[in-house]
Amino acid sequence: MAESICRTLRDGSLEGEHATALTIKDSLQSPVGTQAFQHILYSLAANIVAGKSQAQGLVLVVFDHSPFFYLSLLTKKGLDASLLEKNLKVLDCYSDPLGWKERILQSGSAKRETVKESDNIFRDVNDMNKLLSSILDFGKGFAGEGNSHFSIAIDSVSTVLRHASLPSVAGLISNLRSLDQVSSMLWLLHTDLHEPRTIAAIEYISSIVASLEPMVPITDGQNGSENLFWLEKNSQNGKFHVRLKRRNGRVKLLIEEFHMEQAGIKFTPLSSENVVVGQVLMPKLQFNLQLSENERDDRARVVLPFEHQGNGEPIQIYDGRRSLIGSERDHSVLQQEPLPAETEAQSKQVKGEIHYIRDSDDEQVDSDEDPDDDLDI
Amino acid sequence: MRAGRPSSFCRNQSTVIASAPPLLPGVKPGAGGKAFISSGIRDLDRILGGGFLLGSVVMVMEDAEAPHHLLLLRNFMAQGVVHRQLLFAAPAEEPRTFLGTLPAPVVAFKEDRQRGPRSDHDGQEQSLRIAWQYKKYFGEQQASETYKDAKEFSTDFDLRKSLDRRMLSLQNIDCVSLLKFSTIAPLRELCSSFLSKLTGNDVSVGCAARIAILSLCAPQCRYSDWDMISFVRTLRAMIRSCKAVAVITFPSSVLSPSFLKRWQHLADTLLSVRSVADDDENLAKLLTGYQDMVGLLHVHKVAQVNTQVPVILEANTFSLKLHRRRSLVLERLNQAPVDGSSGTSYGTSGPCSASTKSSSIDF
Repeated sequence: MAESICRTLRDGSLEGEHATALTIKDSLQSPVGTQAFQHILYSLAANIVAGKSQAQGLVLVVFDHSPFFYLSLLTKKGLDASLLEKNLKVLDCYSDPLGWKERILQSGSAKRETVKESDNIFRDVNDMNKLLSSILDFGKGFAGEGNSHFSIAIDSVSTVLRHASLPSVAGLISNLRSLDQVSSMLWLLHTDLHEPRTIAAIEYISSIVASLEPMVPITDGQNGSENLFWLEKNSQNGKFHVRLKRRNGRVKLLIEEFHMEQAGIKFTPLSSENVVVGQVLMPKLQFNLQLSENERDDRARVVLPFEHQGNGEPIQIYDGRRSLIGSERDHSVLQQEPLPAETEAQSKQVKGEIHYIRDSDDEQVDSDEDPDDDLDI
Repeated sequence: MRAGRPSSFCRNQSTVIASAPPLLPGVKPGAGGKAFISSGIRDLDRILGGGFLLGSVVMVMEDAEAPHHLLLLRNFMAQGVVHRQLLFAAPAEEPRTFLGTLPAPVVAFKEDRQRGPRSDHDGQEQSLRIAWQYKKYFGEQQASETYKDAKEFSTDFDLRKSLDRRMLSLQNIDCVSLLKFSTIAPLRELCSSFLSKLTGNDVSVGCAARIAILSLCAPQCRYSDWDMISFVRTLRAMIRSCKAVAVITFPSSVLSPSFLKRWQHLADTLLSVRSVADDDENLAKLLTGYQDMVGLLHVHKVAQVNTQVPVILEANTFSLKLHRRRSLVLERLNQAPVDGSSGTSYGTSGPCSASTKSSSIDF
């Protein structure tokens, strides 16, 4: 559920824990990653502005769109601009990531454009350490009482990976996560642009992985017109798979559907026809032959028929050959047998029972054919 | 052995004692001249047939989604701190902080014995009971008879309490951060100096050394693949000649498949931890005790050094549970009672075999 992701990001992390980190993955087959990122970013920003979240501010590191784009997006969706200014800081890595424009301006020093440059332009995207310290400086700017937490959103880690190597980006993200002031992080990743190893590494350092999958994956071998149909459909709809790593070590799997609409992306619960039963990987099992205490007591209380009760009577085993006198005695013994059993049972409150569940109920009842019947000796 | 007459063959007592290796603290002798040290988890020691073999490299394949390898590593390291020999390396800026999360040894022993004596108690009862659990009796009796100092060998750890800081500042406990080095050569130097300092050439001095490395091939580390492989090989050679054990955890998903195979082959004992899905109805129906399970532990390989007898385990996959949130317990997986009336009792064993074809889990 996208709602649960937003709630998890809002709640942030506990003391001493690494920050919650969300990776949103998309691919060419379902290319709506940016819309999903914006949707979740909006809900996080709304929570921060309203004061409902652990974080007091949001640092947005933009690579793919201009800061103005994000500001207008958030205000269009209903957030108050003045409040937003207080709680949102944008680190602009979009305008001049490698510092080329500045160098051009410096070399051609006569012309100076009257573009108002904000202080937030970051010009050294190759240097992860510098990026880390800039983000931290921005985060410290949210002066709150006591420990001020802030959240970080990175527009797309795919772009960062273009500029820097995987170990340095992974180092940046894990350093950010391990800071006390960072309460949650989210970023976008386009899976088609990277090797599987890179994607696995980014998934390894994140705590929630949300992937946007197509309804029906398109393979190249399919028919042309069918391909086009599914292409159309996949750009509008798809499945949203979420894997949440919980604190106790278990993984929560959630699946939803999403639809692209004019206003943005909408998440709905899974409709029944698209449910795929997950494969259960089961190792070798043994039957549990151990009994709990209650079960042991019950078993002790079961009175088995014809069991040697040891009640002092001479043990009589019926062997099919008995004299008339013997049969009378047997009869009396048999009659007497229930009595000690009853007293024994009465001394305990409940009489234990054995419930036998037949293994194979598909056989007809009373079809206990003696397999020796067809022996022909 | 004839009791009455003195035999002409008598043992030369003095040579026997001299040739037997002196017992180091925390080391348990096993069959065939093997020596074990405790992994810190009693159940794991029992499963592996005594503990971690001295002179072996244990590798734990991490799961990208669950931090259970940390549980194993913490217990191993805490046992090392109790026995006062440890070198720890981690891909973090301040690895000392991880030492602060080590569990403290349990002081009160009477509670821990609750699990053990139950089986003994059953054995002493009336023999009319059919011995369902006879296998349990064999294993425990043999193990407990041969080694008297069970308490000294392995201690129980309380995961809720952390280790006393003073124990951490003793000598022979060393921490190093993997991020400091751009190549892996300094780490190798550190390991070899640590091992030579601790074990030394003099047999009577020294103790069994432990090396714990957390997430060796983590994405933040800048080592090249081949460098890491050669480091593990060198480490393995160093450890084989000293009395030491190394536990290395590595995230298996981060390596490329060919290197993953190489890492797996380099291990003497290979374990892997896997996560368990939360609220999975299929699993809940199939297993008892699903609610308490935090993860799965799979034993791929058990160390075999100086022996031709293979170690064949009864089961390879165990569930990780936290007993009262305090201690780590490994249990075999138990199948839940099958609902016979639905008539699909033979069918439920189907998914067990059908689904394992997609994984490498032992069936």
